[in-house]
Amino acid sequence: MNWQHRGALAVWLAFAAWTAPVVNAQAQESAVIKRATQLRNAPSDTGASVAPLEANSVVTRSNERQGAWTKVSTQQGATGWVHMFDLGPQTGSANASNNSATSGLRGVGGLFGGNSGATTTATSTVGIRGLGAEDIAKAQPNPAAVGQAEGLRVNADQARQFAQSASLHARDVPAMAQPALPSSGTGNRSGGSSGNPSDPNYSPN
Amino acid sequence: MHRNSGWKRCAGVATLFAALAAAPLAAHSQNVMNILNSLGGGLGSAITGGKPAPAAQGDDLISLLTQSMENIDEAKEIEIGRQLAALLLGAKPAHPDMALQRYVNRLGRWISLQSPRPGLPWTFVVLDDPGYNAFAAPGGYVFVTKGLIDRCADESELAGILAHEITHVTSKHHLQAIRQSAMAGVGTQLLASQIRTSNMAGQLVKDQLLSLFRTVYTKGLSQSDEFEADRSGVAMAAKAGFDPYGLVSVLQQLRTVTPDNPMFTLTMSTHPAAQARLDYLEQSMGRQLDGLGGSRATIAQRLGSGNNAPPAPAARPTPAKKAG
Repeated sequence: MNWQHRGALAVWLAFAAWTAPVVNAQAQESAVIKRATQLRNAPSDTGASVAPLEANSVVTRSNERQGAWTKVSTQQGATGWVHMFDLGPQTGSANASNNSATSGLRGVGGLFGGNSGATTTATSTVGIRGLGAEDIAKAQPNPAAVGQAEGLRVNADQARQFAQSASLHARDVPAMAQPALPSSGTGNRSGGSSGNPSDPNYSPN
Repeated sequence: MHRNSGWKRCAGVATLFAALAAAPLAAHSQNVMNILNSLGGGLGSAITGGKPAPAAQGDDLISLLTQSMENIDEAKEIEIGRQLAALLLGAKPAHPDMALQRYVNRLGRWISLQSPRPGLPWTFVVLDDPGYNAFAAPGGYVFVTKGLIDRCADESELAGILAHEITHVTSKHHLQAIRQSAMAGVGTQLLASQIRTSNMAGQLVKDQLLSLFRTVYTKGLSQSDEFEADRSGVAMAAKAGFDPYGLVSVLQQLRTVTPDNPMFTLTMSTHPAAQARLDYLEQSMGRQLDGLGGSRATIAQRLGSGNNAPPAPAARPTPAKKAG
């Protein structure tokens, strides 16, 4: 694929994308406001307040997103922007890992069962389905396919060429905090000092 | 593409808890390892179907996996990864859309250049599967399903997912998980008695290795590995020029996936709950990346009509928020 072409069509497409953010009309999902905040008229803290949003109030989330901000509608009919981190799950559960549906699958996952039942994960029997545990449990290795995939590798120069044509530029980003892992985070490995982000001496590679 | 509004993310725990709990078995499994070792090399070829494993001076894969991580050099890491990749490609073929495969290789390779291991022979594969999942294997193999790509609203979401998987590789998460399974004797205990009396030892060893490899994908990694991959993945995607909130947006959508959605069963059983991951990312990111902006081109734009890939719309950085 040639990434170099930048004809008028390409410019038009880029402009169209700029002015019309991705909209998937069918995505209208309920979400809950995690903490009191403001519904804003622009995707920024500097946007004017459209309405106050109370903690635990329910909003409908659209698919429109600008960086950290997503467009929502309140039950009172106001529409505006809210930071994604101010949204929580619809159930109101502060930690979805504790809800009952989760627990059901967790048992299957082996934390409590401790079995090696690779075929017990998937439960649905209707409709098309994705790659599941059974597929992997039954799979026989296909080394020839790996060779074909390796034939599609690109080298670092090709990758940089792609980035240049795609207007992607490497940049420094602020260091991120390393909070302690959630208490439900079992399975820290004993081996390998670098594998545990809760280790104060841990640093990402 | 269609975005299922009924998504509900839930967590199975991808864990090697059983392996950890079985640590005292290590002494026992060491005996098993000795037996295996006495069988000599060639286990690699047992798995790959005839191609001799390189540099197998009796250090077959299982004995290799029971050594310290420092003894598994990059060449061996890649060889192990190649065999896991063969298993995944045995479960699902690569998608026939070569333009898509080339695009994901370019995109993934660019992101990998921002990783701590830019020199690995990174290989990215789109699996021909309508489900939603992504996998990594040691040595630089990264897989995403076609269904996952179809559900990405834009390239920054795919970039976040690829960066998450790249972190699993650079931090050797799968290698450690397989090694711990081997050390704990998971999948090898059965072998101890049979191996002495059977001339089918080669087949048994092959089966045991496959069992180890399958376990890591069906049970998944530890939660701490997933949280680390999220945190490092966000930073890596941002370094590569993408909107840092791509992965956050993915998790926002996964949060509403219903646990019985057949397209997501494996993803959900092998990862922590989306909300727990979002909470962890919020603590990690704060609001300090909000002003970065970044490319938010869509995948359709990149793949473009014909070969005319438009340049990414350079996103306007939103005004920076105060940290915290």
